[in-house]
Amino acid sequence: MTGLLRSELLKQRSTQTTLFLFLSMVGFVALAVALHVLALGATHLSTRSHQLEVFQVGTRAGMLFAGLVGAIAITAEVRYGTIRPTFLVTPRRGPVLAAKLVVSALVGIVFGLLAEGLMAGAATVAFSARGIPNQLTGGDYLQLLAGGAVAAALWAVVGVGVSALVRNQVGVLVGLCTWMFLVESLSSSFIPGAGRFMPGGLGLALAGNSTNLSAATAVLLLILYAAAASAGGWIATLRRDVA
Amino acid sequence: MKGRRVEPASALRDLADPSPPETVVSCQALSKRYGEVVAVDEVTFSLDTGTVTGFLGPNGAGKTTTLRMLLGLAKATAGEALVFGRRYEELEQPIRRVGAVLESTDYHPSRSGRNHLRTLALAAELPLSRVEEVLELVGLGAAADRRVRTYSLGMRQRLGVAAALLGDPELLILDEPANGLDPAGVRWLRSFLQQLAADGRTVLVSSHLLAEVAQTVDHVVIIDHGRLLAQGRLDELTGNGQTLEDVYLELTAAAFS
Repeated sequence: MTGLLRSELLKQRSTQTTLFLFLSMVGFVALAVALHVLALGATHLSTRSHQLEVFQVGTRAGMLFAGLVGAIAITAEVRYGTIRPTFLVTPRRGPVLAAKLVVSALVGIVFGLLAEGLMAGAATVAFSARGIPNQLTGGDYLQLLAGGAVAAALWAVVGVGVSALVRNQVGVLVGLCTWMFLVESLSSSFIPGAGRFMPGGLGLALAGNSTNLSAATAVLLLILYAAAASAGGWIATLRRDVA
Repeated sequence: MKGRRVEPASALRDLADPSPPETVVSCQALSKRYGEVVAVDEVTFSLDTGTVTGFLGPNGAGKTTTLRMLLGLAKATAGEALVFGRRYEELEQPIRRVGAVLESTDYHPSRSGRNHLRTLALAAELPLSRVEEVLELVGLGAAADRRVRTYSLGMRQRLGVAAALLGDPELLILDEPANGLDPAGVRWLRSFLQQLAADGRTVLVSSHLLAEVAQTVDHVVIIDHGRLLAQGRLDELTGNGQTLEDVYLELTAAAFS
């Protein structure tokens, strides 16, 4: 199993994909900071809950890009055919999937921490530059970082699981982005409150960006999503032929 | 057209010697269906240790599907495909016993050749020094740090061979290794196959390049439309002055006309 983990880590490091995703995430967060923190009127940034809500862009970015890392861990192998040599070396496919889940979750933690850190840091500087009183406590920052890292790790697991089921790279990547930025918010506008039980909404509660669900409930439900996606991907991977 | 006809069933029985050498590959009534389509239809053949066998048949005959079942990538609908008496998935450290070269496109384009081999060596718990050995063996040492997208087809094919040799396996399975190779690449491949045979390794190489195959192999297995047409020693099949091409075309034309 150590060998498989090292192999998966090398797969992550030896293409430019992870770096590209990381830089995209940084760019995305920078854009979001500029739009939200600099463009919003001071009245919309005055209370603690307003400010936490603005910080949710960092949580969303961490979750989404971690999900993409997990998805690409599977779909790049399918797309480029490296899944064949991978399974020739390790024909018991369960351990391969397990190694991908672990490594993707680890990369997800890093992505989550960096997205939250970047967002919180930049927004805090922007607040003080505009003379807006910072209402966030040290505990808030801690929950942002820790909750955001856990949420991103679980999204990476969801990404691995879903893409083991779907396998089509474009489909999974577009699907994850659409889900994060369209499906959850749209469904909330039709069924008020529905979004908070969805994977993205749960991550926000976990990182403290929204308070409509306790962090403990949120992490539990998000673990359930991750477990369900992994189980689905697991069964599909063990049963299906490799093209 | 009335040359030697080889009846599949009797040919098989004739060749099943009472004191057989070790059987390395054995397919028993191996079948694969995709819905209505029967890709492989009760194919039975076996390979003895140390033989170099050409796996022949037209495009779409079921060669690749058979090899994928042999290597645990696809599940048989019926029958069984065994290597060293076991299903591929049941082998301990399979790449120490079986090396396979499937498609020359199975690389991440922005990963270097060296890192491609390292991901495999790590997963197989092989020492990374083995990566350097196989890179030298196939002549890719100088190009090892280049991204695979800059490799020519011949270099990709050699990288595939390097991956197959990582575990120093007794059995090598190559699927259409000569496809798209230029004359220099074909010559390299030929001398390479001969070297593998000289080492005493068992080789199964699928191809539809008959002239090329005839120079290298000592046994052939011929299939078409998923069914076994013949298996046996090359010199016996071509015994009365026919070329492998004559025998092959006769069999594939007779079987389904």
